[in-house]
Amino acid sequence: MEDGIRLPCFNRAGHVAHAKRCMSALPASQTDIDASRLALAFYNIGILDLLGVMNDGDTISRQNGKDEWLEWLWAQQTQGKYGSGFRPSPFMLLHPPAEEFSDYNTPHIIMTYTALLALSILRDDFAKLDRSGLIRLLRACQRDDGSFTTTPGGGESDLRTLYCAFAISAMLDDWSGVDVERAKSFVTSCRTYEGGYGQDLFCEAQGGTTYIALASLYLAPSSSETDPLTLEEKRQTVKWLMSTQTSSGGFCGRTGKVGDSCYCFWCGASLKILKMDHLVETKTLASFLADSQFKFGGIAKCPGEHPDPYHTYLSIAALCMYPPSPLAADEKPDSWEFPELDPLLNARVDTAEWARKYISGKGHRT
Amino acid sequence: MNTEQKQEKLLFAERPEWSDVDPIPQYETSTPIAPILYTPQYKDATDYFRAIVKSGERSERVLQLTEELIRLNPAHYTAWQYRYETLLALSSSLQTELELMNELAIKYLKTYQVWHHRRLLITLLRTPQPELQFIETCLRVDSKNYHTWSYRQWLLSHFVDDDDLWRGELEFIENVIGDDVRNNSAWHHRYFVVFGCGVRSGSEDRARIVRRELIFTKQNISLAPNNPSAWNYLRGILDYNRLPYSLCTRFVKPYTLPLDPNTVDIVDLENPPPSRGAELPCVYAIEFLADIHEKAGDKDNILKGVDLWKSLANEHDTIRKKYWEHRIREALQSAT
Ligand SMILES: [Zn+2]
Repeated sequence: MEDGIRLPCFNRAGHVAHAKRCMSALPASQTDIDASRLALAFYNIGILDLLGVMNDGDTISRQNGKDEWLEWLWAQQTQGKYGSGFRPSPFMLLHPPAEEFSDYNTPHIIMTYTALLALSILRDDFAKLDRSGLIRLLRACQRDDGSFTTTPGGGESDLRTLYCAFAISAMLDDWSGVDVERAKSFVTSCRTYEGGYGQDLFCEAQGGTTYIALASLYLAPSSSETDPLTLEEKRQTVKWLMSTQTSSGGFCGRTGKVGDSCYCFWCGASLKILKMDHLVETKTLASFLADSQFKFGGIAKCPGEHPDPYHTYLSIAALCMYPPSPLAADEKPDSWEFPELDPLLNARVDTAEWARKYISGKGHRT
Repeated sequence: MNTEQKQEKLLFAERPEWSDVDPIPQYETSTPIAPILYTPQYKDATDYFRAIVKSGERSERVLQLTEELIRLNPAHYTAWQYRYETLLALSSSLQTELELMNELAIKYLKTYQVWHHRRLLITLLRTPQPELQFIETCLRVDSKNYHTWSYRQWLLSHFVDDDDLWRGELEFIENVIGDDVRNNSAWHHRYFVVFGCGVRSGSEDRARIVRRELIFTKQNISLAPNNPSAWNYLRGILDYNRLPYSLCTRFVKPYTLPLDPNTVDIVDLENPPPSRGAELPCVYAIEFLADIHEKAGDKDNILKGVDLWKSLANEHDTIRKKYWEHRIREALQSAT
């Protein structure tokens, strides 16, 4: 299978340029990300981190706008009666800004997770982090069924938010903000007959939510003592995940769908969590992602489509777990070298280590 | 947005009925990340929306403002939230709101908020029945839309005791699968209807249900063998009812072999043969048969399973070569 494939060069410089472009002004056609801008910032900063241009020297980072980015990210931290966390952007922030958030300018759990990771990439010391406020925010967002709403007192709730609440607790190394058992039973209730997990009770198995479910279960503090899945469950989940790699080399999100670069991360990281990453065919996977590269930088969901930071970040994150091998000299092997990734937090290993150390407060000198 | 729409509406700042409101701009730091170059329309609408939220006004014109804002950015979750609360505060007709949503849902099929808002409305209205028709309309636009299917599953489980709501569900899903036998969302929904959401009155005879489902699935496999959705469903039926896969040995075997050119069309409900022109052998059948052998556990069976996995690894499903070799190692280990 691998013999016939010749990989082109991985266009690192193009992807760096694409990420930087997406950090400057966005056209009005992207107004729909007004209420999720912080996630976009995370994907772009993450691309730079995975491609090794972020922390290879402070000068480079500063040229990249590190100080301005830190300032903007911290400006999104907000406090109020439900605790503290990060909002998606100042889209509901009044001019001049008020001290406390109103019910309509609250922190958002998913954005808080992406903010903590983005700040870790920028090697912030988290001296400004309101830790006890974060715990109160998580408490305010957990519902009776164990799931979490995106914002206190409302908003949609599904598995994505639950994962972010778990990742935040893991980075804080403090689980007192969540009822872990109730949350885990919600995750379990989203399992389907195919072996994957749906977004909500009774929903179809899907790659993204399967990652979210597994990462949550394996982030939970008890998972180091007892495996969250039985042997039979694990085998069934691995079978389903393996079946999502299509003949194009790319993974698809649901049974019978076509390959999509973001699912190379979601399904690939799921297999990595289950320690089955050695089973994945890496060369065809890389060839699918190579073909999804856009001529002027960035990676699309599949060949022929337009790129975006979400698919670019997740494609590179997939390559961090599944670097293609073996490579011939004319395949530009050094363009295909990537750092190791922590599949549970979805960040470079050194970034994830930084997050766990400084967000928990344990990295601080006295 | 096309130019025609742009021209037809005045900015809120130009409308006399809004002259009593002082718009509030967005506060932004001096060096923002990824600032959006808003259109004048969006900036205007959000300036007025921030002012309304600050004053706490709940009125008809707030409904108008939030609707226009949502049309400019359907992912503006605060506009949705404020709109919903305003509807309740004014005791507005939720039925009218639902009709507006019929238009917006089709337009913004992939936006979370549209569906979340709809759930809130139906939870209060408690009128699930017409929703079925609405969902069918959405599925005609996109037959695999995740939000649409999730909404149908939520609706049916939320009103689980409503027999009228549930009456036609099996027939509905039979038709959707009939339209596209490879639509996994439809197979998943069938599982939800038959097994996932509990036993309904009239379907307590589980043995009859299981037989019906097995026949249905096998028939569909016989028409299109290389359809993973049907094979996964077959496993689902057996797993749920704790039945051994070996129950299907006779059915599965012909699908693991090259197509027999001398095959004749026979009507065998329990074991329908591959249809003429089927592409065989079928990867999913080989995998299924190997699982049957592995489960049997004795050495002879394990070796038969190993041969099947080898044929997948080396010939029929080479992209998963490492996976099939892993299955071989696992089986051989447990056998010794
Ligand atoms: Zn995608």
